[in-house]
Amino acid sequence: MRLRSLILWDIRFQARYGFYFLYAVLTAIYVAVLSAVPEGGREKATAILIFSDPASMGLFFMGAIVLLEKSQRTPAALALSPVRAEEYIAAKVVSLSAISLAVAAVLAAAAGVGAGEHGIVKLHIVLPGTVMSSAVFTLLGIIIATRIGSLNQFVLWTVPVELVCFVPAILHLFRAAPAWLRYCPAAVCIDMVSGHAPSPTGVMTVMALTAVLFAAAKHCVLNMWAQMGGAKL
Amino acid sequence: MIHVNHLSFSYTKQPFISDMTFSVSPGEIFGFLGPSGAGKSTLQKVLTGMLASYQGSAMVNGVECRERTKDFYEDIGVDFEFSALYEKLTARENLRFFASLYEKKPCPIDELLETVGLERDGDKRVSQYSKGMKARLNFVRALLHDPALLCLDEPTNGLDPANSRMMKDMILAQKAKGKTILLTTHNMQDAAELCDRVAFIVGGRICALDSPHNLIMSQGAATVTYTWLENGEHSAACPLHRLSADGQLKRLISENRLQSIHSSEPTLNDIFMDITGRTLI
Repeated sequence: MRLRSLILWDIRFQARYGFYFLYAVLTAIYVAVLSAVPEGGREKATAILIFSDPASMGLFFMGAIVLLEKSQRTPAALALSPVRAEEYIAAKVVSLSAISLAVAAVLAAAAGVGAGEHGIVKLHIVLPGTVMSSAVFTLLGIIIATRIGSLNQFVLWTVPVELVCFVPAILHLFRAAPAWLRYCPAAVCIDMVSGHAPSPTGVMTVMALTAVLFAAAKHCVLNMWAQMGGAKL
Repeated sequence: MIHVNHLSFSYTKQPFISDMTFSVSPGEIFGFLGPSGAGKSTLQKVLTGMLASYQGSAMVNGVECRERTKDFYEDIGVDFEFSALYEKLTARENLRFFASLYEKKPCPIDELLETVGLERDGDKRVSQYSKGMKARLNFVRALLHDPALLCLDEPTNGLDPANSRMMKDMILAQKAKGKTILLTTHNMQDAAELCDRVAFIVGGRICALDSPHNLIMSQGAATVTYTWLENGEHSAACPLHRLSADGQLKRLISENRLQSIHSSEPTLNDIFMDITGRTLI
């Protein structure tokens, strides 16, 4: 019940801050850009676009969201309420994944990702891939944003994360990476986003990474709450 | 409601709280008074379960604070010194959001807004609120789930006299409803007016603990100061309880030679300085 409420209010905050309007505009621009890409390269371009924006928006937007919350000192109120860190994190992951999912669905459908000779867009692979990527990036965003105090610091901290997440994924997409890299979570995610069914090992790797990141995010949120409550730890 | 027994806490090798022992009864307003850095906020953090690595015992509502679960907060309301509200949301939306976090049925939001005079501003965004309005909204946010224990941190800090009066009346109204209230402040006037008992905290220790009246009386009663003319102006002072023994005063009264006479009671601030040797800054 409380988790449902947190998710709905997070969606409301995001709408109030213009996230939905921004992504409606961006989606229209992306569709226009993709339609201009020659058909041979459209599938890869769409996969890169989905992976680098709607799927990874959590990494960037968590910085803005958490810093905004810190500036309004609302984490102090949440720390002294019945809200659990797990609920706070899950609400952020679910609410941001909802936007990622909607944008990815439109882009994949518009570009015909994985349509093949039957013309059926493989949304049943693209959308779970988007959700898995979004969860990983949002958790990374929470881990970074809870530990920093300014947007500049946040931007600096996201650079190494982007390198580690994007470079292997792009190399894998263009088959320019060693074979073992296909088990790298970023490669598994971009594979799914481009409409390719993942191996069970690949999915397990992403699940394991998500569980580790969730535990790390919980630790970071509890630390942030304690510090917002004034405790020096 | 609260039982603290030999409580000690430190972030470093230096103790922040040393061997504190006290109890707070249900329905009591209990004040923590002390200068900045005295340890009163640290003590409040222990009692609200934010700091678990303390020695001794701190029981709130029958729960040892270091073992609290999140359900502990169903019966505690905390009003921070600063605003902790979502600025882009309206006052009504903020209260609806925070109310949704508790299992307990929330108090009616319109009634709460009315009690703090914000009923006409309920649909305004908090970013458009003045400091006094935010303070009042913050206060009712802490009351939403009708908690048995209220922790108030400098509730009148930075408020103008009218808003400060309103805030103090609201605190007294909560006491009348039977709530237990912990008041952390360095405002002696507020403490003397609101608290049933106060604890003077300096250097992490409780230096004195009693009702404001008893603390004032314990350091000597009021004095009477009078002046008269005799080759220039002279003044003298006499304790109120020994007034009849002051022959000089009697003589001056019988000769109608007094220029001025007034009584002065020590304030809680004077008592604090007498006991602790410190001022409240």
